Amino acid sequence: MIGRRRRLAVDLPAAADLIGTLAKYLGLAALLPIAVALWYGEPFWPFLVAGAIVSGLGVVLERITPSGAAVHVGVREGFLVVSLTWLLAAAFAALPYLFAGGDQLGRPVDAYFEGMSGFTTTGATVVTDYDDLSRSIAMWRQFTQWLGGMGIIVLAVAVLPRLRVGGRQLLESELPGPEIAQLSERIRSTARRLWVLYAALTLAETLLLAALGWLGIDDRMTPYEALAHAFTTLPTGGFSTQARSVEAFSAAAQWVILLFVAVSGANFVLTYRALFRRRPGVLVRDEEFRVYIALIIVASFALVVQLWSYGIATGEEAVRTGVFQAVTIMTSTGYATADFATWPFLSLLTLFALMFVGGSAGSTSGGIKVVRHLLLGKVLRRELDQTVSPEIVVPVRLNGSPVDERTLRAIAAFILLYVGFWALGAAAIAIESAIGDVDIGALDALAISASAVGNVGPSFGITGPMGSYQPLGDVSKLTMVVLMWVGRLEIIPVAVLLTRNYWRV
Amino acid sequence: MRIFVIGAGQVGSTIVEALHHDHTIMVLDTELSRLSAIANRYDVATFEGDGTSQHDLAAAGIKDVDLVIACTSRDEVNLVAGMFARREAPRATTVIRTSNLEYVDLWRVGQLDVDFVVCSELETAHAISRIIGVPAARQTDVFAEGQVQIVEFDVEEGASSDVVGVPLREAKAPRDSKVAAIIRESDTLLPGGEDVIGPGDRIVVIGSPQAAKEWGALLAPGAATVQDVVIFGAGRVGGTIARVLLGQGIGVRIVEASKERALQVAEALPSARVYNATGIDPDFLERERIGQAQAAVFAMRDDAKNLYAASLAEVHGVPFTIGIAHEEVSVAAFEHAGIDVSVNPRGVTAEEIIRFAHDPRTQQVALLEGNRYEVLDVTTRDTSRYVGSKFRDMPIHGALIGAIVRNGTAIFPHGEDLLQSGDRVIVFTEAADAPRVVEAL
Repeated sequence: MIGRRRRLAVDLPAAADLIGTLAKYLGLAALLPIAVALWYGEPFWPFLVAGAIVSGLGVVLERITPSGAAVHVGVREGFLVVSLTWLLAAAFAALPYLFAGGDQLGRPVDAYFEGMSGFTTTGATVVTDYDDLSRSIAMWRQFTQWLGGMGIIVLAVAVLPRLRVGGRQLLESELPGPEIAQLSERIRSTARRLWVLYAALTLAETLLLAALGWLGIDDRMTPYEALAHAFTTLPTGGFSTQARSVEAFSAAAQWVILLFVAVSGANFVLTYRALFRRRPGVLVRDEEFRVYIALIIVASFALVVQLWSYGIATGEEAVRTGVFQAVTIMTSTGYATADFATWPFLSLLTLFALMFVGGSAGSTSGGIKVVRHLLLGKVLRRELDQTVSPEIVVPVRLNGSPVDERTLRAIAAFILLYVGFWALGAAAIAIESAIGDVDIGALDALAISASAVGNVGPSFGITGPMGSYQPLGDVSKLTMVVLMWVGRLEIIPVAVLLTRNYWRV
Repeated sequence: MRIFVIGAGQVGSTIVEALHHDHTIMVLDTELSRLSAIANRYDVATFEGDGTSQHDLAAAGIKDVDLVIACTSRDEVNLVAGMFARREAPRATTVIRTSNLEYVDLWRVGQLDVDFVVCSELETAHAISRIIGVPAARQTDVFAEGQVQIVEFDVEEGASSDVVGVPLREAKAPRDSKVAAIIRESDTLLPGGEDVIGPGDRIVVIGSPQAAKEWGALLAPGAATVQDVVIFGAGRVGGTIARVLLGQGIGVRIVEASKERALQVAEALPSARVYNATGIDPDFLERERIGQAQAAVFAMRDDAKNLYAASLAEVHGVPFTIGIAHEEVSVAAFEHAGIDVSVNPRGVTAEEIIRFAHDPRTQQVALLEGNRYEVLDVTTRDTSRYVGSKFRDMPIHGALIGAIVRNGTAIFPHGEDLLQSGDRVIVFTEAADAPRVVEAL
C-alpha cells in the first residue's frame, strides 16, 4: 500500500535551525540583569537559569537539525521563524518572572503576559505593587522592551557574524512599516546602522536624564532610573519602574522624555540621515514625517484645549500634560504624566482615536502607522475619482514617487486585518469581563484591545496608566498576548501561517 | 558644400530634396530600394552600406565632407555614425537625429560629441505648442530668439472686417506685423496695399508674437487662449507634446489605450490627467466632456486612427484639432477631412536639419506649404546693393522682408526705414528663389 503523505511546503528543519541559532544568542541577554542583580546584591539565579534554558534550547535545536540547514530559510520559512522567535522571546522574558516574580508575576499566564508585553514594547502590565519588584526584575522588564524595540532578528543580523540570512523579507517582517528604506547596499550594514543609532539615542537620553539628577533638578532621577526609562523610551515601550509612570519625575525630565518619544516615533532611517549625514532637510521633505508632525500638533492642541477648558490643568502643566499624552499614545509608547483614565469622555475618545494612528514607518512604534493612513487616504480619493471617471489613471505617489499597486493592496489588507483582530479581541475581552464580573466598560474593552494590538500599553478604566491588567481574566490576558504578538509583527507574518496555501505544496 | 546623409528614409529624402540644388550630396543607406528611389529623382551619389560601420563610411568618402547628417530612424545607428564621422572627418559639422529626449539633454550639457542633436518628438512638440499658442494658426515658426513669428492662417467666414474684405492699405492690422503672402486656391500673391484678404484665403503673417496672437483673435474671434488640451496617444510623440505643453502651464489631459503605457505616462507626468481609454469610445468622450476641451492633439501611432478620432472629437464639439500625420501623404488626407492642422514629425525634423545646411549667414529657415516657400533669416553684407535703400523702394521679386533684427532687437520696418549693413533680415520667398535672394543680400 502506498502511503499518502502530503508534502509540506515549509522547510521545518531550516526554520528550526535558524530559530535555534537566534535562541542560543538571545539567552545572552540575561547577562545584563545578572549584572544588575550582582550590583544590588539580589539573587541572580532566575536570570542565569532563564538564559541557560533558552540558550540550551537553541543549542539542542541546532544539533537536531542538519548543520547548515538555516541557509534554506526562504520567504515561507521566514514568516515561521519570525513568528516563533517572538513567541519564544516572550517565554524567555517570562521565565525570571515565573521564578522570582512573587504573587504579582509568578502565575504562568501573568508572567507570559508581562514577557510578551515587554518584547513587543507594548507596556501593558499586570504589576500592581512596584515597590515589591526587585531592582533586577524591574530592570529586566525595561531591558526586554529595549531588545524588542528595534527587533531581535535585526539585532542578530547586525551583530552575529555567521548569521547569513539571505533575504530582506525576514527583516521586513520585523521592522515596522510597509517597506524598509535601505541605509546601505547590504542588509547587514543597514541593520547595524539602525542599531548604532538606536543605541546612541538611548545613551544620549540616559545621559541627559542622569544629568538632571546630578544637577539636582530632579532628585528622583538616579542613573538607574535614567537608564531604565531610556530603555523603554526609544523602543516606544512604556514600561516604568514607577507606579505613577513618568508622573513620578520632574517637569524637566518629562520634557526630555517627551522629546525622545517623539524622535522614536519618527523614521529611524530619516533620523540617521539627518544626524549622521548632516542632511536635516530629509526630514522636512518627507511626506510621512510632515503628516506625523501635523498629527502630533493637532492632537496635542485638542488635548491641551480640553484639559484647560475642563479645568484639569492650566498653564505649563496643561501644555505639558496635553502634549505628553498625545505623543505617548500616538507613538504607542504608553507613558503617562497624568491618570488620563479619570479624564472626561471626550478626552478618552481623543486618546482612543490616537491609538489607531501609530508612529512612522521605520520607527519602533506600533499601531497602523502614519504612512499607511496617508496612502489609504490617497487610495480612497482615487477610488472616488474613478467612480466618476472610470478610465482615469492616477498613480498613488509618496514623496513624488509612484507606489506599487501591490504595496497598496497589502496596506489595505493590513488595515482590514488589523481592525478585524482588534474587534475580535475586544469582543473576547468584553465577553469574559461580563461573565467574570470584571469592572470593564464598553469603551474600556474596545480600548484594551486597541491598546494591545497597537502595542500602546495602558487603556482606560481600571486598566488605565496608573492601574493594572491584573484583574482581567486569563482568557482576556491570553487574548491580549495574541494581539500584542500579531500587532508587533504587523499581522501579515502571523496571518499567513493560518492559511492552507502556506503549509501545502 | 559637401553633405553626407546617413539614412534615406523620409527624413533623409526630404533633406535631399531641399538641398540637392545647391550642394553636393552623398547618401548612405542599408537598403538599395530606398537609395535607388532617391537616385532616380535627384542628382546625388548613393552608397549601400551601414552607418554603424566605420569601413562603409570611409569607403563612401565621408572624409572630406563639410556636413554629416545621421538621420536614420534608429537612435543607436545615428549615435554610432555620428561618433565615427567625428573620427573620420574631424572638420565636418555633425548633426544627428534622435527620438530620445535623454540624448538631447546629454548633448546640451556637452556629453555627446556631436554638433547638433535634433529630436523629432521635441520638434513636433514645439511646433504644436506654437500652433496652440496662436488660435486659428495652421502653422507657425519663430525666428530671432522668439522675437519674430511667422504664422499661416486660414481665413474663414466670420473673421473681423477690420482686416478682411478691405484693401490692406485701409485694414486695421495689428502693429508690428506684415502680410507676407495671400494664397488663393493655388495662386500665391505677395500683396500690395490695394490687395484684399477674403474668406477662404490662406495668409502668411510675419510679426511680433503679440501681433501674431492679435491676428489670431481677429481671424477667429471666438477662440480664446488655450488652457485645456486633450492629447490622444501617449507614445513618445504624445508624451513629449504633453511635457512641453505642461511646461507652458497649459492644462493637459491624455487619453491612452494601452493600460501599461497610460500608467507609465501618469507616473512620469504628475500634473497631467491620464485616462486609459480609446479615443473612439463615444461614452467616454461624453462622460469626460472631451468636447469642452479647447484643442485636441491626435498623436496615436496609426494615422487612420488619428483621422477617425479627430473627426469624432469634432463631432463632440472640440473646436480645434491637430493631427500627427506620420506619413507625408496623410497630411493632405487630414486637411481634406477637416482636421485644422496636421504636423508631420519627419517633415518637421527634416526642416530643422536643413537649417544647418544653409549659407552660414543664414541662421534659420522655415518651410511653408509643403516646400514651396521658405522663410530665411539672413544677415546682409555691406556689399549688398540694397544696403542704404528704403524698404519702400525695394523691388518685389517673389520675396518680402518681414522683419529685421538690428543689434539683437527685432524691428518691423516701415516704408521709410533704411536697410543697414549687418542687419539680420527675415525674408519670405518662394523656395526656388531662395538662393537668389540670399545672393542679393
